[in-house]
Amino acid sequence: MYAVAKVDTEKCTGCKLCILTCPDPNVFTFYKEVKKVAVNENRCKGCGLCAAACPKEALAVVSV
Amino acid sequence: MSTKIITPVREFADLLPQEYQDLVARGPYFEPKGIEDLGTFKEIIEEHPHCAGCGVSLGIRLVAASLPSPADTVIIGTPGCSFFGLTQTAVNYSNTAFGNQNAVASGLKRMLRIRYPDQHKDVVVLVGDGGIADIGLDLTLHSWFRREKVTTIMVDNEVYGNTGGQESGMSKQGQVLNMAPVGKQFPKIPVFEMAKVSGCAYAVRVTVASPRKVGRAVRNAILVAREIGPTYIQIYTPCPTNLKFPPNRTLEVAREAEKDYYAYEEFITEEAANYLARL
Repeated sequence: MYAVAKVDTEKCTGCKLCILTCPDPNVFTFYKEVKKVAVNENRCKGCGLCAAACPKEALAVVSV
Repeated sequence: MSTKIITPVREFADLLPQEYQDLVARGPYFEPKGIEDLGTFKEIIEEHPHCAGCGVSLGIRLVAASLPSPADTVIIGTPGCSFFGLTQTAVNYSNTAFGNQNAVASGLKRMLRIRYPDQHKDVVVLVGDGGIADIGLDLTLHSWFRREKVTTIMVDNEVYGNTGGQESGMSKQGQVLNMAPVGKQFPKIPVFEMAKVSGCAYAVRVTVASPRKVGRAVRNAILVAREIGPTYIQIYTPCPTNLKFPPNRTLEVAREAEKDYYAYEEFITEEAANYLARL
């Protein structure tokens, strides 16, 4: 079973806290135009640090 | 490394993997990037085999993102958890025998000064607590006594992680580990206090729970090491696998330690402070 983080784009405000807490490089991408983050699911290890840090609860770790 | 070297010949550009093309097109070499810009550029570390929620890999990622000039940096590593991430960096990297990192760095720094007299080449030692506090303590201290202009960064996970959880000199007193079932019998080695009295011009103790402080410390330390003298940074990077807590609590554990025994502390000599103010 694999677990990855998913972003709820409606709740995401683009504060970038998740980017600063992720231990793996190049997982999160920040899109300046829409002020939202996206997850590269192929690289995510599903530790859940981003979900623990998100103040808006826009991130959740789900199994795929 | 120079950006000329990593830029591929036009005829072969489409043969290279996508990751490499991204690194050339959106890498941090061409303009100054800091921790605040993370997520908008291709990072210089590649996928690594660290455990999920690893504090060490977060520490290494933050350090790599805040290098002032990655194209002119050499990173020196030593066996341990830290080098799993470092061998995947797109900066010059040299691995050494366990504990020799500061001796190798001293030699490289002297050689680079002769080879490039009018350019700054940063030599950064980025190793774990075993390499600095246990096996390499003598070579580390002697490089500070000799005032070698090298930045030493310790990612302190308080355990020998990749060999199954033996106690290290930096483990907390009383810490029970896989291979220390009755708990550690003596306190942490005060490497930070040693750095202050051994000739370091700039020393910082910080945890991964404050990424912006890590970024500022790394930048200052490398700039001070260019002109003034040796610098030292100690980053607390808790290990969920061997300290037995869920991987999503790494930052919480670091934050609790920051309130307790790992408080942020900065030591700077007057000369280094004047130099930083002049920049």
